[in-house]
Amino acid sequence: MTTLLQVDNLTKKYVNNNVVDAVSFELEEHTATALIGPNGAGKTTTLSMLAGLVSATSGALQFQGDAKQDIRSIIGFLPQYPKFFPWLSALEFTEMAARLSGVETKQATMDAKKTLEFVGLGDAVNKKTGTFSGGMKQRLGLAQAIVHKPKLLLLDEPVSALDPVGRRQVMDLLKELQQKTTILYSTHILNDAEEMTDQLLFLRQGKLVEHGSLDEVRTRYAEPRIVIEFEGEQELRRFTEVTKWQMTSKGLIVSIDIRSEKVEMSSVLSVLSVGKFLVRKVEWQTASLEDIFMKVAVV
Amino acid sequence: MSELANLPWNLIMPLIVLQFILMIVALVDVIRHKRTNGPFIMWIFIIVLGNLVGSILYFIFGRRQE
Amino acid sequence: MNGLTVLVQKEWREHTRNFKMLWIPLVFIIFGIMEPVTNHFLPEIMKSVGNMPEGAEFLWPELKGEEIFLSLLGQYQTIGILVIILAFMGTISGERKNGTATLLYVRPMSFLNYFLSKWIVVNGIVLGSVWLGFMAAWYYIEILFNHVDAGEIVAFVATYSLWLVFVVTVVLALSAWLPTGGAAGLAILITLVYQVIDSLIGTYWTVSPWKLSVYASYWFKADSELTNLWMSSGLTVILIVILIVFGVVMSKRNAAKTTV
Repeated sequence: MTTLLQVDNLTKKYVNNNVVDAVSFELEEHTATALIGPNGAGKTTTLSMLAGLVSATSGALQFQGDAKQDIRSIIGFLPQYPKFFPWLSALEFTEMAARLSGVETKQATMDAKKTLEFVGLGDAVNKKTGTFSGGMKQRLGLAQAIVHKPKLLLLDEPVSALDPVGRRQVMDLLKELQQKTTILYSTHILNDAEEMTDQLLFLRQGKLVEHGSLDEVRTRYAEPRIVIEFEGEQELRRFTEVTKWQMTSKGLIVSIDIRSEKVEMSSVLSVLSVGKFLVRKVEWQTASLEDIFMKVAVV
Repeated sequence: MSELANLPWNLIMPLIVLQFILMIVALVDVIRHKRTNGPFIMWIFIIVLGNLVGSILYFIFGRRQE
Repeated sequence: MNGLTVLVQKEWREHTRNFKMLWIPLVFIIFGIMEPVTNHFLPEIMKSVGNMPEGAEFLWPELKGEEIFLSLLGQYQTIGILVIILAFMGTISGERKNGTATLLYVRPMSFLNYFLSKWIVVNGIVLGSVWLGFMAAWYYIEILFNHVDAGEIVAFVATYSLWLVFVVTVVLALSAWLPTGGAAGLAILITLVYQVIDSLIGTYWTVSPWKLSVYASYWFKADSELTNLWMSSGLTVILIVILIVFGVVMSKRNAAKTTV
C-alpha cells in the first residue's frame, strides 16, 4: 500500500485555543478513514485545513511525499451543509465544478451528467438547485465532490442530515466509491463508521486520542463477556448462588467478565443446562463502538 | 390643462413604457419568487405605488436569493 | 485562462437570473430620458398645472444640450452611484456569508481570476447601463435641445466611465475585505461623501479620481486645459490596479471566513 496523504502535527490555533492540536496520521490509498468525535472536537476544522480552506497554524501536509502540491487540485470536498448558487441548475453547477478543477469543457458536461446519474439526480439535472430538498442537496454535494475524479474525498458528516432511506442510499454510494478512491469522512454516528472504515481516528478537544483499524481499536478496548438474560429474578439468584464467577447483574441480565474469570462459553452453557435454568438469551459480547466512543471521546 | 394635450406624447411614451416594464418585471419576480425580506404583500404595494423608486427598492432590499 | 472563463460565465448567469442585467440598465435609461424631458417640459407643465399666483412669472433659464448631459451626470453621481453600491456591495462578502463560496474556494482556482471575473461582469453591467443612459439622453437632447458634437460626447462619457470603473473597483475590493454592511458604508464614504469633501476643500490639489466627473465636462468647453484630466486619469488607473491587487489578496485571506 502506498501512502496518499501524510499529516504531521497539524495544529489550528484561534487566539489561545487549540481547536486542532498536533494531529498526525496517514491515509493509505483506496482506504476509508472515519474521523470520529463529539461535536466541537475539531473534525470540521481538520477537514477544512485538508481542503485548503483554513490555513494551519503549524504542521505539515504531504501529498504522495510532495509538500508543495496545491492540495485543492487532488481533493473533492463535501461540507456538512453544502450551499449552492440557487440560480444554477444541478447540471450547470456540477459542470462548473468540474471545469474549475481543470476538466475540459466538453468532457465536463459528459462527466457531470454521468455523475448526477450516479448519485441519483438523473431526473433533476435541469432543475435549479434553489428548489432542491435537503437530500437532493446532499447528493448534489457528493456529485460535485467526485465529478473530477479526485484522489482524495473529504466528506464532512456526509449522511448525518439524511433520513434513514437517504442515509442507506448515500452510504451505498460511498461504499461503491471506496473501490476507486481514498475517503476521509467525519461522523458522530458510530453505525456509519462501523459500516465503512479501514481506519478510525478519534478526536477529542482537538487531540487525536486513538487511532487504528476497527479491529485494533476493538481489541484494545475489548471487554469480552458472556451475557445471560434470565426468565425471572429467582432464576438469576439461583445462578449466582450456584456459580462462583465474578459477575455484574442488572435487572434480569447477568454479565460475566471472561478475561478475568477465564470462562468458556461451553462451561457456562453446561452449568445452565445441568441446573435447568430458565434463560431467555445467552450471548458472547465485546465492547461496541459506542462503548469505546464513550470511553475514548468523552472524558 | 389644454397645454398638456400639446405635449409630444410620442416622446414621453417610452419613459412610461420603460417604467412599466420595470414594474412588471419586479411584480412577476415577487409573485413567482414569493421569498422576500419582509412580507411579500408589502413589497407588492411598494412596487405598485412606489413606481420607479419602489421597483428599485424591491430589487435592492426586497429580493432574497435563497 | 479557462478558470476565468468559467467564473465569468457564472457571474453572467447570476446577474441575468437575478435580473440585475435588466433592471440596472432600465434605471439608468429611465434617468437618461427623464433628464432632458423634464428640463424641457417642466416650464410648460408648471405653467399649466402649477398653482401660481396671478401675474407671477418664473424665468426658466434657457438650457443647452451640453448642460443636460452635465445635469444627468449629476444624477448618476448620486442616485446612480448609490444604486451601484447597494446592488453590488455583497458581490464577494455575500457569497462568503451564505456559504456558496465554499465550493468554489476548495477548487484549484486562482483568486485573481475569482476577483477579475466579478470585476469584468460588474463593470460590464455598470458601463453598459450608463452608456445606454447617455445614448437615450443624447437622442432626446438632439430632438428637444441642440446638436452636440459626437466626439465631445464620446470623450465626456469615456472620462466619466473611468471614474465609474474606479467606483466599481472600490465596491468590489471592500466587499472582498469586509462584511457586506461595512463594505457598503465605507464605499458610500469613499465615493459619495468624500466626493463632497473633495469639492469643498480640494481646491488645493488638482489630480484626483474624484475630480474626473468635473473634468469630464471640460470636453464640452473649447480649448480647456486638459493636463489635470490626463494626470487624474493616470492616477485613477494606478489606483484601480492597486485596488484590484488589494481585492485579490483580501478575497484569498478571507476565504477561511466562508461559512462551512
